[in-house]
Amino acid sequence: MTVTFRGLIARVAAVGFLAASQATYAQEKTIKIGALFPMSGPGSYFGAQDKQGVELALEQLNKTGVNGYKFVVQYEDSSCAPLPATQAAKRLIEQFKPDVIIGEECSDATLAVMPIVEQSKVPLLNAGSSSIKVTEPGNPWTFRIMPNEVMQGVNLAENAYKRMNARNAVLLFENTNAGIGNAQVFKENFTRLGGKVLAEIGFGRDVNDFTAIATRIAGLGKIDVIPTYTLEGQGLKITQALAQAGITKGGGGDAIQIGTIWLPFGFEQKAGKAALGYIRIVQFDPTDARDVVKDFITTFKTKYNADPTHLNAHAYDQIMLIADVVKRGGKDPQSIRDGLAATKNYSGVTGSVEFDKTNQNTKMDTVHYMETKPDMSWTSLKWN
Amino acid sequence: MTTTIVLQQAINGVVFGSLYVLVALGLTLIYGVLVQINFAHADFVTLGAFAAYFFMHLLGAGYFLSIGVAFLVGAALGWLINASIFTPLRLKGNELLPLIATIGVSVMMQNLMLTWFGPIPYAFETEYSSQVIRFAGIFVSWQNIIIIAVSSVTIALLYAFMKFTFLGKALRAVSQDRETAGLMGINPNYLIMLTFVIASALAGMAGAMLAPVLVLTPFAGTSVIVKAFAIVIIGGFGNVEGTILAGLIVGLIESYTTQFLDPGLIDIVVFALLLVMLVIKPTGLIAERREENV
Amino acid sequence: MSDSAISQRVGNDKMLRSRWVGYLLAALCIIALPLIFNDTYWRTNLTICAINVLLALGLDFILGYTGQLNLGHSAFYGLGAYVSTLLIVKLGIPFWAAFVAGVAFAGLAGMFLSLFAVRLRGHYLAIASLGFAVIIYQILLNWISLTQGPLGIYGISPPPGIVVGGTVIADFRNLTAFFYLVSGFTLLVYLLLDQLVRSPVGETLTAIREDEVSAASLGINGAVWKVFAFGLGAAVAGAAGCFYASFVGTLVPDAFYVSEAFTILAMVIVGGMGTLIGPVFGAILLTLLPEILRGIGDLRLVVYGAALTFVVLFMPGGLVQAARMIHEKLRPGGRRP
Repeated sequence: MTVTFRGLIARVAAVGFLAASQATYAQEKTIKIGALFPMSGPGSYFGAQDKQGVELALEQLNKTGVNGYKFVVQYEDSSCAPLPATQAAKRLIEQFKPDVIIGEECSDATLAVMPIVEQSKVPLLNAGSSSIKVTEPGNPWTFRIMPNEVMQGVNLAENAYKRMNARNAVLLFENTNAGIGNAQVFKENFTRLGGKVLAEIGFGRDVNDFTAIATRIAGLGKIDVIPTYTLEGQGLKITQALAQAGITKGGGGDAIQIGTIWLPFGFEQKAGKAALGYIRIVQFDPTDARDVVKDFITTFKTKYNADPTHLNAHAYDQIMLIADVVKRGGKDPQSIRDGLAATKNYSGVTGSVEFDKTNQNTKMDTVHYMETKPDMSWTSLKWN
Repeated sequence: MTTTIVLQQAINGVVFGSLYVLVALGLTLIYGVLVQINFAHADFVTLGAFAAYFFMHLLGAGYFLSIGVAFLVGAALGWLINASIFTPLRLKGNELLPLIATIGVSVMMQNLMLTWFGPIPYAFETEYSSQVIRFAGIFVSWQNIIIIAVSSVTIALLYAFMKFTFLGKALRAVSQDRETAGLMGINPNYLIMLTFVIASALAGMAGAMLAPVLVLTPFAGTSVIVKAFAIVIIGGFGNVEGTILAGLIVGLIESYTTQFLDPGLIDIVVFALLLVMLVIKPTGLIAERREENV
Repeated sequence: MSDSAISQRVGNDKMLRSRWVGYLLAALCIIALPLIFNDTYWRTNLTICAINVLLALGLDFILGYTGQLNLGHSAFYGLGAYVSTLLIVKLGIPFWAAFVAGVAFAGLAGMFLSLFAVRLRGHYLAIASLGFAVIIYQILLNWISLTQGPLGIYGISPPPGIVVGGTVIADFRNLTAFFYLVSGFTLLVYLLLDQLVRSPVGETLTAIREDEVSAASLGINGAVWKVFAFGLGAAVAGAAGCFYASFVGTLVPDAFYVSEAFTILAMVIVGGMGTLIGPVFGAILLTLLPEILRGIGDLRLVVYGAALTFVVLFMPGGLVQAARMIHEKLRPGGRRP
């Protein structure tokens, strides 16, 4: 039937178009960067912001190039799910033939893509997935610059117990890989130190009303900290509900919400008073005094007229790190892979980068602690 | 302490229950009159929410006015869907095709909204969502009170309309027996259109009230719709009293499941109840049903 | 024997021959496709097509041939995938044994649902099946100690290769081999269903679909047949699930969210409900269309929904109806019905 022929024609057209666009670059030396981001579906939140960070970096780099190389990026929609991600990865590798790939955001997608990049021997630079499984097995072709769930969880539990003197905790987490994984790590470490976990409440991504959950928590007695692992949308509702129920500081109670991931600057403006006292790990500290951060914020604001989030920052760092590797001599998949592995003390917007044997960035200054002040601004707690 | 918790969860359950009722009522009305399901009903809720949001935040209008806008947007959508899908397909006779068509509409609407509004959750705040009343250890936000108040008034009005006005009785007549109603000089097509418009307007309005409570993304309606279907069946398709009762029950199930079990089990409990109802009493909680090979 | 009966007999024989020619052509196409499209990306697409065709066939048998509106086909898909994978991964059961178990489990679940809903009609069954799919999804998601839930199961191996006397005939880590396996299986299922539908069984099913009450007066127990059909369709979906798991290598509950059921439904409707061949092309079209249209991002799902709506409104017989209309137009002189 005509379908397969249609497919053939479309494919030929696509290849032809690609070849034509490649031809213009053939004259310059280029580093091809493949970008696997969720562009459709509920995860497109991430993809849109990643793209902004990437474009900003490209703009700056391509003004002069690095070592004679210009950078070209091809985006593929991986939809934050294993099958579309593997499809996108295969398509990317087959048709664009990148020298390096950045992505994905969601742990499930990243884990599904890893075997493919390993087989094709293209390095994957990840800055969004927190699952320990991404680096723990030690894949030589996968690198992660953001701290994984274990690094964050151990650190958070220790700080909660020692610096905050917390002894009772209630865990709130979304029922995903990242949510469950992070909550587990906190629980293990907090109880190991001597703390008590009064309840572990997981919820699906489609839960909207947290009044019932807040009510349940209110009945648990004295609580010191409420580690919360969730995305912004639900995080907002949780914070408000907890305040309404009078549990957290923002509502006149004593408990403090603590957490990691996914709550960018701007959250406070939406949550209002309820967010008072929230302490969380962020991967991007806009009050960081380093020049590289200040410049990033200024140029981002100029280009997009908005404050950058950690998603923008991560994507920016990924491109810039690749550029640094190129400066050190990387020019094809193998040499870029080796260059990444050899990175020492690279200073990125989100923190320093140095990879250990499993290609995990172990620099703890990527773990920034922020506390929400009464005027809704952030104070950096400088715990790392 | 525990009585407070139980009472609090009861209030939480009633708040959410009343919202579910608003959404489910629309479905039940349509089914009663047309024996059809509009799968895109949830997306009317979402679109109503967005309409209210933009009306409030772009034009700086008041919240209650925005609810009105959402009501109108819902009405318009209802008219559109009935005119373009249900009326043409009714002539073809297949009872399942319209449902399938509305599935397509639902997919279209969700993704169009995704393209227009983006996936980032919108924070729909009103003056009422953060103000809380506390008494006897219980708390209710003003937003929740508004929800209960508006829902109750609307439901009461609708109920009165159905029971006491000519138009309302005509609607019920059409749902009982379309042919005879036709013979009595009532134009069924007009009534069907009216039903659709009212039902969808209710959905839009529910959206505007849900928005400050929900996580507002293009997929917001989907989280509510599947439960709305369950409610309609548990209460009895086409049965207004049953839907109200079932809606409140489901709301209470939600809050008590969260309290004593786990939020993740809510869907399982609700749907298990649905399946049980289908076995022991498919006509619904309150059987005021016509003869039908159900 | 009357003239018309004889000519019908002759006509039937002709149709029989042309059908077998059709099967042969299909087999040849299947063999040729991975050779034409010889890159990983397109071969993956083809395999996914084959899996979706399997799903669409199962649903069409339930929906198109017994008139049961099953909105929860994703549940059987997921059950097949999880049951087989868990048996392999947790109990070390060999692939094909687990495959049979997965298929059987899915089939039994289908029969259970149908049995439960056999008195229900139309919309009630639709919502009950939807509810069933939601429950299954939530169980897969929440019963973490059993299914790993959102944490996922990784590193699922493809079926073991076929080795005869020391030589490897088929290594299913090879995409082409895997494609042949799945599409071969799909072709067999199609054959089976096609034969079933044309046999007296098929006539019984059609009678039930058209008018169950009258069929009952003929002594046909509609319930038994409907349950049987549902079980068969569900079993086929279970098989698709087993293949899916070993193909993607990663299993997360999200792959079986209820929206999957709508996707499969769209394939059946767009292809042409109740024709068996229609859903084959519906599945292929709707699998490849989003891939080809990747460039337009979010809009591709809008197109998807639009396709479903417009087909129902304007061409409810789907592709098959369209093909027939074109066929009629092109025929010189036309034929009197």
